[in-house]
Amino acid sequence: MFETVFSTMFRFAEVTNAGLAWLGAGFAVIAGLGTGIGQGYAAGKAAEAVGRQPDAQGKILVTTLVTQAVAETTGLYGLLVALILIGKS
Amino acid sequence: MNDFTLFDPMSSAVRSTLIIFVVLSIFFIVVGAKIKKLDPKKTPKGFLFGCIMLVDGFNKFISEYMDKDKFKFFGAYLFTIIVFLATANTISLIGLTPPLSNLGVALAFTVMTFFAIKIAEFKFISVKKKVDNLLGEVKFMAPILFPINLIGEVSTPFTMGLRMFVNLLSGVVIATMVYSVLSFSLGFLQGLSGIFAGLFLHAVFDIFFGLIQAFVFLMLTTINISLATDA
Repeated sequence: MFETVFSTMFRFAEVTNAGLAWLGAGFAVIAGLGTGIGQGYAAGKAAEAVGRQPDAQGKILVTTLVTQAVAETTGLYGLLVALILIGKS
Repeated sequence: MNDFTLFDPMSSAVRSTLIIFVVLSIFFIVVGAKIKKLDPKKTPKGFLFGCIMLVDGFNKFISEYMDKDKFKFFGAYLFTIIVFLATANTISLIGLTPPLSNLGVALAFTVMTFFAIKIAEFKFISVKKKVDNLLGEVKFMAPILFPINLIGEVSTPFTMGLRMFVNLLSGVVIATMVYSVLSFSLGFLQGLSGIFAGLFLHAVFDIFFGLIQAFVFLMLTTINISLATDA
């Protein structure tokens, strides 16, 4: 069954440089996975901290924004690589 | 939305940068001249009072994260940065391209931050201290740590500029994508959904993310200057 599937796939779709670039762009945005986990963890800890110490909410908010922006960077690099790859094709 | 090009030196983004630059300069000069003429014994009113309160609140906020002498030297620079970025990131509400969605403009901010940190180091810590920082705490690890620290000198401002660039760019890309999907035909329902989608997209990507990115850039500049001169 797989042989027929692959043979039909390769008959209609050939492997081109542009196609590989788009495939690479798709792989590059997997970097968002780690970013999501990290940002969620930071936000959860910030919520815990506010729950434990509601008076310090302003300072915790500022710290959380900065740390989240730092954690976001790797995912943004993935997006940048994806955009560059799309522009190549 | 205009067509988006990744590496174009004199694009619409640079044009809107120049527009914001000129408008803000005129605004600041006029307000500054008006505030100079104020009577210090009377309470200011209306718009000028708002401006004074804004600067005062900014001073109070930043001096929590910086020493007093550093704040006196860098306060004006930091306030200029936050006002420019807050205006620039929300500028697409009036139809211009957000300037930070061009790599050239974003890397200009990288260069500015790099020189700000270097100036802070030259002004507030000695050369010997700086060399010590570059070599690291443990002396026999210095041949390994020195190149890494040298890369860190450049990569910190580079990351800051690039982060803001990609954040703004993602907003522009998503807005362009949604608008191009909605512009296939000009039916009534599609036009209506385009209006609502535009409302939502610009509220989230321009106002919310734009202001947060401006704030984050300000905080990171402040913290990096403090860190570079503390140790």
